[in-house]
Amino acid sequence: MTNAPISIDSIRYEIGGTSILNTMSLDITEHRIAIIGRNGSGKSTLARILCGLIQPTQGRVNIDQIDVYRDRKAAISRVGILFQNPDHQIIFPTVGEEMAFGLRQLGQSKADVENHVHQMLRQFGKPDWYDRAIVTLSQGQRQLVCLMAVLAMGPKVLVLDEPFSGLDIPTTRTLSAYLDPLPQTILHITHDPKIALTCDRVIWIETGTIVQDGTPNDVVPAFLNAMNTAVDL
Amino acid sequence: MLSLTHPRKTPLHSVPASYKLLFLCVAATAMFAISTAPVAISVLLVVMAAYLMLGWDVAKRGASASRGLWPFVAVIAIWHAHSGDYEQGIVITARLLAAVSLSNLVTMTTRLQDMIDCLSTVARPLRHVGISPKSIAIAIALVVRFIPEFLDRAERLSLAYRARSGRRASWRIILPLVFSALDDAEAVANALRARGGIER
Repeated sequence: MTNAPISIDSIRYEIGGTSILNTMSLDITEHRIAIIGRNGSGKSTLARILCGLIQPTQGRVNIDQIDVYRDRKAAISRVGILFQNPDHQIIFPTVGEEMAFGLRQLGQSKADVENHVHQMLRQFGKPDWYDRAIVTLSQGQRQLVCLMAVLAMGPKVLVLDEPFSGLDIPTTRTLSAYLDPLPQTILHITHDPKIALTCDRVIWIETGTIVQDGTPNDVVPAFLNAMNTAVDL
Repeated sequence: MLSLTHPRKTPLHSVPASYKLLFLCVAATAMFAISTAPVAISVLLVVMAAYLMLGWDVAKRGASASRGLWPFVAVIAIWHAHSGDYEQGIVITARLLAAVSLSNLVTMTTRLQDMIDCLSTVARPLRHVGISPKSIAIAIALVVRFIPEFLDRAERLSLAYRARSGRRASWRIILPLVFSALDDAEAVANALRARGGIER
């Protein structure tokens, strides 16, 4: 899978006259990108705009030459998002139904969807999960269901909006092991410098503005330095 | 979460959703015609027997899902005891318990996607008046999905209140509950939109 170019063209986002994201433009062609920043820096808002979930006050985001907000039908097969809390993402009571939902929205037939879901479960080593009730799964397993449901739709870009928050170390490691070999372009929204260090490019955002954009070796030490001196709550 | 769905497959799971929903509509309507206590109690016993036939685990889960009804049952019982109309009280209570328990049984044994498909088909004529049948079906599915979540949230808020207060939370958690539900609604709407579920 070749990297899908992401073009962020002069986007700005404000709510009720308050600026959440100041005008920014970015061209992203790297394979692994981290977007770092403090709480409330605008990272999650940027993630939602990147996926076309909210309309920027100004500008546009194109992924693979598709305007992700205006062309939703094409966008859902190009970009997927994994949210922080899987319980906000899971709609259906069983794993099979949850994974089938997005595929049905892509217009696949019921039989094709069922085959596709079984194939995906086998690929992730969970062939017996089709009828598993979500209620019986741990938080990490639910996050894996969300990941499988998003990947089943075949996106070229995956946005991770801090999906590891609140997960223990072994669960985080296991999920990372699933994510690392994926051919998709991954944009990881995080405030964990360790994750940022593994990426090809790091974009640091504070109060809706890009502070620094470059390689992990350049951006992460500067970010850590700023975080160590910042003490306000 | 999602506690209405029964994790173990029962023979009722293989009955098409359309048959179960049609039967539920007919049965619930027929229950309204019941006016004598022996008939109302018999119907309730039949529903309870249906649960038991599917297994003890199903019956236990059904009883747990009906817990929310008990305050209403208590109000009806007290009112009719006060007015002296015992038979009417028994009829209303038995009808209510039977209808809700039957609905829970259908919900517990039907895949949500099958229910959405069925409701989309039924709501198809609404397309002519500009209402999307898909939106209605998803809205109903979300209600089914989030009622247990909402009750769970209310319980957690109530515990959080009691942890820092000597009094019971009661109505005091209503406003925070509404705000947190709106917060959740926004998150779920984003998740739906991310996978093409709803479009503006």
